[in-house]
Amino acid sequence: MDVVRRNNVTVTGNPQGRTVVLAHGFGCDQNMWRLTVPALVRDYRVVLFDYVGAGRSDSTAFSEHRYSSLDGYAEDVVELCEALDLRDAVFVGHSVSAMIGVLAAGMAPERIGALVMVAPSPRYIDDDGYRGGFSAEDIDELLASLESNYLGWSAAMAPVIMGNAERPELGEELKNSFCATDPDMARVFARTTFLSDSRDDLKNVRVPTLVLECTQDVIAPREVGVFVHQTVPGSTLITLDATGHCPHLSSPEATNEAILQFLAGLR
Amino acid sequence: MEIIGELDYSNAAELRDRLTTVALEPGQRLVLDLAGMDFCDSSGITALIAARNHAHAARADMALAAVPSHTLRVLHIVGLDQIFPLYPDSDAATRS
Amino acid sequence: MMCRTDQQPEPHGAGEETSGAAFAALLEDSAEELYESAPCGYLSTLMDGTIAKINTTLLDWLGLEREAVVGRMRFTDLLTVGGKLYHETHFAPLLRMQGEISGIALEIKQADGGRIPVLVSSVVKRGGTGEPLLIRTTVFDARDRRAYEEELLRGRKVAEDARKQAEADRARLQDALAVLQHSLLPDSLPQVPGVETAAYYHTASPDRLGGDFYDVFPIDGKRFAFFLGDVCGKGPQAAALTSLTRYTLRAAALHDPDPVAALTTLNTVLHERYADGGDPRYCTAVFGTLEPDPVTGQVTVRLASGGHPPVLVLRADGTADFLRTPGGLLVGVLPEALFTPAGTALAPGDTLLLYTDGLTEARTGKDRTSLYGDDGLLAFATRHAGESPRAVVQALTGLLDSFGDGLDDDTALLAFGVPADLAT
Repeated sequence: MDVVRRNNVTVTGNPQGRTVVLAHGFGCDQNMWRLTVPALVRDYRVVLFDYVGAGRSDSTAFSEHRYSSLDGYAEDVVELCEALDLRDAVFVGHSVSAMIGVLAAGMAPERIGALVMVAPSPRYIDDDGYRGGFSAEDIDELLASLESNYLGWSAAMAPVIMGNAERPELGEELKNSFCATDPDMARVFARTTFLSDSRDDLKNVRVPTLVLECTQDVIAPREVGVFVHQTVPGSTLITLDATGHCPHLSSPEATNEAILQFLAGLR
Repeated sequence: MEIIGELDYSNAAELRDRLTTVALEPGQRLVLDLAGMDFCDSSGITALIAARNHAHAARADMALAAVPSHTLRVLHIVGLDQIFPLYPDSDAATRS
Repeated sequence: MMCRTDQQPEPHGAGEETSGAAFAALLEDSAEELYESAPCGYLSTLMDGTIAKINTTLLDWLGLEREAVVGRMRFTDLLTVGGKLYHETHFAPLLRMQGEISGIALEIKQADGGRIPVLVSSVVKRGGTGEPLLIRTTVFDARDRRAYEEELLRGRKVAEDARKQAEADRARLQDALAVLQHSLLPDSLPQVPGVETAAYYHTASPDRLGGDFYDVFPIDGKRFAFFLGDVCGKGPQAAALTSLTRYTLRAAALHDPDPVAALTTLNTVLHERYADGGDPRYCTAVFGTLEPDPVTGQVTVRLASGGHPPVLVLRADGTADFLRTPGGLLVGVLPEALFTPAGTALAPGDTLLLYTDGLTEARTGKDRTSLYGDDGLLAFATRHAGESPRAVVQALTGLLDSFGDGLDDDTALLAFGVPADLAT
């Protein structure tokens, strides 16, 4: 199966530059990075993709068995790196994708040379001495509501983009269904994400790492950012003045600046 | 009573039901005319045996008339040609 | 005369204006009123989600006071955990990227712990320079819709469960039938010294028990008994009869292995058991004994038939013939029955073949006018005369397969032969 087709891979930017891979987390797809891409394309080669089951990836490649563990997603990433023959790429992962990046870097160390974690969390459920932000009951409730198929998905399914006067180019590109995720696959991704525990994997990171956290993020509270920073050897922590879980959308300038500075400082 | 067509597993039960509705007096003879019967398998044989039992229970008699050659062969193998009186046609069967 | 002043008709033109004004006054429709008491919830938030304005309808649904909400709570605080997550991961990003979003199903939490399913639509209001200022959100009560959806889902689940149950039941039934069928036939045939044995059984349908049976067993130090037959009917009733027949013949043989005696015993047992009802049950059967002579290698065969198709004897010299037993009656039909005995001797290279009528009644053409028949079988036997029992049965198996749908009855085959290389 052709990986580029399977994961709807897009390559853009400067072919001479170092490769930066942008990986979406749970929720939507590579379109989440649209405000980050313009900041990178001049100096870097930018790779975007959708995990299988998200966006416009090939849904026939979906396997509940494979994607019931973060390793399955990490394998997608490794296969992508191999298909594009990436070396020493910078992997920018949002939310659970940051953990997927950690796993992929462990599986293929020569492919991934640095990590940027945007609002990461290695575990969402509280544990002894660890605040993940959710109780087990909270996650049960979330998964149950996904099971009952009500959450978010109404008859309209995917909202269709309307013309945006301020950014006409956006309206032009995003004509088709957007952020459309198959509910069954999203359910599997949600289950995998919110029941995951990657805390131990953080200790094994051997590459330069930037941790970006938000001041007000219900999904990845401040304690989690601190935990990740303290556990990943040699990492840098930057707290963005942003609310919500997607600073690359709600505070794109601050996010891009932090990423660019980190990239410039590498090797 | 004439039997026409195929007598097999699918309709033998129906024949047996029909037979039970035939009222017989002692000394009467029930004649089954098989001239129009295309086929008869073991369920058909069972139906014929049931007919004979029914007749005998009423102290009546039963005979087969105009038995087709294939069925005759089967009756011979199973020995029933010695048990059922056989006649070339219904007239001959009713006359004797 | 009294005049009722309030009923005096107004002059024409002035009348219309006044009733228009009266109409509006009746409605009391200020913009304020329209907003606060709308049949849906209205909400305005800053870009970070802080609630700036909220209408009375929504406050009533939530069971909250305005002071507790405005400036103090965020939109996500009104949602359930799942809703919060969905808001952060889908709703907010989409709203940022598109500027609007509509018809998203969420649940809002009431102060008393209850939940209301809702449909939410939002639009971003931008300032003069295009920067996003605030978000205007409408919340629709979706309780009825949700109840309907749940009803549909419940119905679907019930149907799905029923289907799974039916499949499980069918699988169990087929398993049970397979076990039962298996118990009606011998697992393996015993070794008869100086004799090669082969057998084959074909069931017409996996959903129904077959009515054919056979067996081979020792009766004393020298002789073996065998039988093969066909009970009338199919299904569980026939299977019960098969079982009775098999074990009666086995027991009868151990008592007196004479073939006619064994069949007579069987006849008595079956007749007594079944003859009185309006449901006659019987079987056809061949019963016999094999007595191998260790010195000459010859095998003496004695048998009797009760209404069964005649057995075949295939000779080493390439000829074949039926071993006829005319007059033998179906077993179980009459209280006293006659069974015809017969016998033969098998020399090296000879084979004795027993079969049920599934073989001879198989359709070779489109309908029942062309059946395989005795002649076909005799020709076939002649072609294979001199071959080992295994080879003969194998060839017949191939023949049965070639009938395809033409073979719609169970068929059993049993063959005994003296190995050709025993010739002294």
